[in-house]
Amino acid sequence: MARAPMTPQVLSLRYAVVAVLFLALAGIEGLLMRAQLSNMSFTIPGLVTIPMEAEHYYAMLTPHPLVGAYGWAYLAVFAAFYFLVPTLIKKPLYSMRLANAHMWVHIVGLLTVWSSGFFLRFGSLYTVYWPLPVVRFPPLSVVIFAVGLALVELSVLCFIFNLFATILKRSQSDPLPRAVALRSLLMASFGLDNVVRSLRGLFGHRTALNGGTRASNPEPLPVFVVAVMRGSIDATLNAVVLTGAGILMLFFTLPKLLVGLTLDPLVVDPLVYKNVFWWGLDMIADGDVLIWVAGTLYLLAPILANRPLYGEKVVRYVILTDLIVSMGVWSHHLLCDRPQPELMRLLSGQFITWGEFFTMGLSFFAALMTLWLARPLKFSMPMKFMLGGIVGFALGGGSGLLQANFAVNLIMHNTQWVPGFHIHQMVLTGLSSILFAAIYALLPMLTGTGLKSERLSNLHFWFWMIGGVGMAFSMGFAWRDGMLRRTLYPGVDMYLPYMNSATVFGVLLALGFLAFLANLIKTYGLRTLVGLFIPLPVSKPK
Amino acid sequence: MVEIEKVEKRYLFLLIVIAVFINAVTISPLTPWQNWTFWSRPTPTSIFNISVCDYEFTLPSGGIQVRVGEPVKFVVTSCDVTYGFGVFQRSGRMLFQMQVLPNYSNEIVWIFDEPGLYTIRSTEYSGPDHPSMIVPDAIRVVP
Repeated sequence: MARAPMTPQVLSLRYAVVAVLFLALAGIEGLLMRAQLSNMSFTIPGLVTIPMEAEHYYAMLTPHPLVGAYGWAYLAVFAAFYFLVPTLIKKPLYSMRLANAHMWVHIVGLLTVWSSGFFLRFGSLYTVYWPLPVVRFPPLSVVIFAVGLALVELSVLCFIFNLFATILKRSQSDPLPRAVALRSLLMASFGLDNVVRSLRGLFGHRTALNGGTRASNPEPLPVFVVAVMRGSIDATLNAVVLTGAGILMLFFTLPKLLVGLTLDPLVVDPLVYKNVFWWGLDMIADGDVLIWVAGTLYLLAPILANRPLYGEKVVRYVILTDLIVSMGVWSHHLLCDRPQPELMRLLSGQFITWGEFFTMGLSFFAALMTLWLARPLKFSMPMKFMLGGIVGFALGGGSGLLQANFAVNLIMHNTQWVPGFHIHQMVLTGLSSILFAAIYALLPMLTGTGLKSERLSNLHFWFWMIGGVGMAFSMGFAWRDGMLRRTLYPGVDMYLPYMNSATVFGVLLALGFLAFLANLIKTYGLRTLVGLFIPLPVSKPK
Repeated sequence: MVEIEKVEKRYLFLLIVIAVFINAVTISPLTPWQNWTFWSRPTPTSIFNISVCDYEFTLPSGGIQVRVGEPVKFVVTSCDVTYGFGVFQRSGRMLFQMQVLPNYSNEIVWIFDEPGLYTIRSTEYSGPDHPSMIVPDAIRVVP
């Protein structure tokens, strides 16, 4: 029996393969829901009948974004960062064993979340607005969902611990005391040393930044690593808040389940809950997604252009500024909550959200200028997907800014604009394309060979881009005719043209994904991919 | 302090112009409903109290009739979970909406500019029966 020995390359490949499988799961769910919204009728024996009952539909809609975000996006990010961060800072990963173990925790957690919907019909949606989960759904389903979510967040925290432990592990040759060395490193990496030096210069105070010693300041960490660290702060806060929401669900559900005691869930203020929940949840959407993607661009663009990143010093300030911005934008999810103080809706909901226009705008500018200055360029697959991803983010980010508007939100909130023009555009055309760019760039580094078929790679790219943009626009335009998100319209035909068009583009996306999958199997062989996880009998040489 | 190249400065200036322009236009009275929801804040001529409980809207017993051009206030409360309160034209187009949080008085003032019949629908998911939360022709707007 033989299984691939655990190396950094194998670890990253494992994460990447699992991420791709979760993308397939999220995609299958997405297509089934698209079929329902297109008023189709069919049965997949033993699995599902379309149209589903509303209860079944919402139980599918609940894990769909969680599988997409935590299954596909997070695991693909883990795959890339577990290889790239140690490689770039030339240190071994702090714990290979932990990295391998929390992958399984992550998988079990996500499948548990998914099972709460599939088997027990938990359908509170990922927003879990208080007190919806504990009022409408079976207590056991709530418990299973909360436990699954906690496992996923535990895995995220393990990843962040492992990365930080790797980055901050002190080298033996460092002459400075540990705390001073750490402070100097972080200040140099975030560009704070320049700020402090300027401020001190203003007041004529010239104390050295490294704790008063005469030792030279350290080399700042690569800007990609700084972005990873910065995004990890948001991911940590997100994990803490979502786990907290799960604990709250358990607090109100377990007494009912165990001793039949019903507690009044409205002792918890729904508006305070909503503020805390969105503050935490937005750490993904407006925090680590954006900055981890930006970080990936800071790395990919120089590699593909074979020149240093344009405006690197500005980029370090952008990373720090984005930390402050991402902490203050959550109220754009509460623009239609009239009891939310007006000043909060205006400042946090609209004005601070525009901060992302600047941070992401400058990040894209840095990446694009890096490429522009390196012309002529070779349009390799990572390059194509990277540019496609920037287009996706520009379209999805622009629509997001329009809806995060004190005035306009009144006619857009909870319509198809939000999941169409904004969310699916950001996640499929934007985020996923950047992740595919990273995967196409990483595969040769991890395996020694890139994907075999250029034809299949190109099919993947064009189907994915056309499918992603087309589906997002088809859904988004239904807003004009008043179509709401998260709403079924049985017997209503007026939205069918939009929904049918979205289904066609959704199928195109699926074909793009299948082209990628076929290319993976064609290049490496199913046996090699399975052998990453399961010991297989050694085949006899012919 | 921050070394920034000329082309980067120009780009940043462009971003600032776009941001200021869009924010100024949308916050100004050029956006029709900003006139009364944010700037003039007129005293409503009528107040309609609506409650929502277990997926059902309960409307005022005398119905909801308003005049074109008159500011009216909708006060919506929920007894259990978060719902939405959306007002739609017969064509399906949404006029406005707000969230309906339990334990809170959720209020909005609106001025209708076209006579006709308007539908009320929950715009927030509140459980599997959410799609059924629709009251056709609930609001009559007269000239």
